Amino acid sequence: MVRPREERLTGTLPEDLERSAILVEDRPVAEVAPAKEPLGPGEWVRQNLFSSWFNGALTVVAAVAGGWLLFQITRWFFFRAEWAVVKANLRVYMVGGFPLDQIWRVWTSLYLVVALAGLSVGVVAPRVRTLRGILVRVALAAVGALLLMYLLDGVGIWVLIGVAVAVFAAGVAAGRLLGRRLRVPLVVGWTLAFPAVVLIIRAFGGVPPSRWAGFMLNLIVAVVAIFVSFPVGVLLALGRRSTLRAVRVFCVGFIELIRGVPLVTLLIFSILVLPLLLPPGITVPRIMLAMTMFVVFSSAYVGEIVRGGLQGIPDGQYEAGRALGLPTWRMMGLVILPQALRHTIPAMIGHFISLFKDTTLLAALTGFSELLATARRATAVQFIGAEQEALLSAALIFWGIAYAMARWSQRVERRLGVGER
Amino acid sequence: MSAVARSVRPPLWRNVRALRIAGQVVFVVALLLVGREMFLNLEYGLAQRARDLSLDFFGTRAGFGISEGITYSPNDTTRFAYIVGVMNTLRVAVFGVMLASVVGLIMGVARLSSNWLVRRIAQAYVDFFRNTPILIQIIFWWAAVFLALPTITEAISIGGVAFISNRAVAIPWPRIQEGAGVWGLFLLGGVLLGIVLARWRTRVNEATGKPHYRVLWFLAAFLVVGAVGFVISGDPVMMDVPEPGRFGFFGGFQLTPEFGALLVALAIYTSAFIAEIVRGSIQAVEKGQKEAAEALGLTRVQQLRFVILPQALRIAIPPVNSQYLNLTKNTSLAIAIGYPDLMSVSTTIINQRGHETEMLLVAMATFLIMTLTISFVMNLLNRAVTTKGQRR
Repeated sequence: MVRPREERLTGTLPEDLERSAILVEDRPVAEVAPAKEPLGPGEWVRQNLFSSWFNGALTVVAAVAGGWLLFQITRWFFFRAEWAVVKANLRVYMVGGFPLDQIWRVWTSLYLVVALAGLSVGVVAPRVRTLRGILVRVALAAVGALLLMYLLDGVGIWVLIGVAVAVFAAGVAAGRLLGRRLRVPLVVGWTLAFPAVVLIIRAFGGVPPSRWAGFMLNLIVAVVAIFVSFPVGVLLALGRRSTLRAVRVFCVGFIELIRGVPLVTLLIFSILVLPLLLPPGITVPRIMLAMTMFVVFSSAYVGEIVRGGLQGIPDGQYEAGRALGLPTWRMMGLVILPQALRHTIPAMIGHFISLFKDTTLLAALTGFSELLATARRATAVQFIGAEQEALLSAALIFWGIAYAMARWSQRVERRLGVGER
Repeated sequence: MSAVARSVRPPLWRNVRALRIAGQVVFVVALLLVGREMFLNLEYGLAQRARDLSLDFFGTRAGFGISEGITYSPNDTTRFAYIVGVMNTLRVAVFGVMLASVVGLIMGVARLSSNWLVRRIAQAYVDFFRNTPILIQIIFWWAAVFLALPTITEAISIGGVAFISNRAVAIPWPRIQEGAGVWGLFLLGGVLLGIVLARWRTRVNEATGKPHYRVLWFLAAFLVVGAVGFVISGDPVMMDVPEPGRFGFFGGFQLTPEFGALLVALAIYTSAFIAEIVRGSIQAVEKGQKEAAEALGLTRVQQLRFVILPQALRIAIPPVNSQYLNLTKNTSLAIAIGYPDLMSVSTTIINQRGHETEMLLVAMATFLIMTLTISFVMNLLNRAVTTKGQRR
């Protein structure tokens, strides 16, 4: 490449100065800024741990305290804890008292979701190419497998996990192969997955909601709540910004009432009072009453999230929509909401995470065998004294999923560039 | 005057104003109809069970015990039992908010420390406690930590003044004696003198540019006057040291497993969220502010104290407000471990008396009042700090 830079620079000012400025910008970055030298281990420790006497003292204190804690936890985990309560109750943890001859319905649903997840990962996630990336993933998988081996007993569970892993891998491979063509089918698939799962579990002599239990119940309640509350929440948000005073007052009142009261109170209300409000003669299973309240609760929060998204849309967008001659509902549907909802994705994932964690509140009511209630009951009868193990294992199941979703949400946030202007 | 200027009334069904009014009327009527239907169902259902809607049960004898809280006996009215529950809720909420704020602030700053280890530990703390359901944490602290402590006969004694057992964690607590009123006046005088001195130091600082040290002056005045008053009024406060008995401790401040578990779990859980808010707010302070502070030669602590935190806390107030609200609402999870907060007292009343509709509506109204009060106070605070920022 010929670069006439030097000649230009010798020319007269000021026009040529401008040109040279443009030329400078054209140069590849690497030529301008030298790459940062990676720090040696000694230098890294000095800069990050002992940059001042205060920092050094802090490091020593933190290392001693953290090390002690880590040692105690590890020792407890491997030598003190009795994991029999988890091994004996694994199935109860996951599906509660689900009829055994119908359990294939659960596995079918699980594989359906796993296959969809595999396809999505195959399509969306970038290929891992660096050696370090591969090593980290292999190490994580190995640690996970070893921990499961330590905690779980029995051949059946391993066959089922093996099949799930195989389905996932096949999904990833297929997703890679087909690539972006799968995008639209995947969105449709995820939307239909939930009704499909309910059908698989419920339909054709399946299991009624009153017998749903264990972790499965937590997942179903969370997914139902978010699915149903989403459209309701959007309507509430639009109503809150409506110019019709009656609609606005109702929406504001509804949202503030629900958000000002704890979920437990609402759930107790749904169990004790909601049946009285229904026409006489109609009896609804308790779990459906609770699910209704989860929907109501969630829609108020979704409403606030969507309102936040709507507030971020500049007036010019509304004016542009009107200038195109769109009626209000089409302007909302075609111009405003697509932009507003895009900005709410991280907050929406955050809401879903907290809703998922809040499904444990069913354990504070009597008569629901979701995961936490199951874990508590396990230590009430047979494994007295194993509260730490039972509760910690339940906590870790929730933590794993919530943490993974939180990390994913951070990624989405970065990709969408939300918050950057 | 042409036809353009003359207003032609559109027919009623194309008249936007008429349509808007009609729409609202339809909406309100539909709401009222649904509400009426529900109310009739409720009345019918209650009549079938030979019950009615009334708040009279609040005036009757409660007849059940409450394990902790202000002095109460089962012979008191149900209304008073409910108030005991409300006080217990407030006790957890107030202490919880204070603890969560302090821990959250520390963890949020630690999350951005230049020290790699401190940063990582803070991050692990936040990641773990934020992503685990609060109810599991409460039950864990209760069943697996506080109830797993040694029994009262084998209580761990800390120097014979504090005791740790699964019945209660008992610590010495100041008890007011005679002469406390006089000492209180001295303390008040100390505060006033401190304020006067601090104002004077501020004026000196503004006039001469000498360092003001007003906090130190304030504290010195307060401590000196307080100490003098303590001697003059003759031991107004005595440390009440708990003594172990067969079934419990006498005296001191006793932390029951239920209160302790609820408080610790809520404070830790909420502090993890507050830490994230603090971190976000610090990062949201413009980079130029930190660079300017550095250019002025301030130390890292000074940068944080005088430049970054005052601006960051301003950004943090609205989200922290919603965390305080969450903490207050989450106190209702006490029903899972039997701490007698307002929700568990309410459910006890419902179990004994029925009247679930009225009782739950009262409980909801109580929570609404609490959350609205917190929001109101935080809004005042928000307005105070933002106007100050704008004036400068």
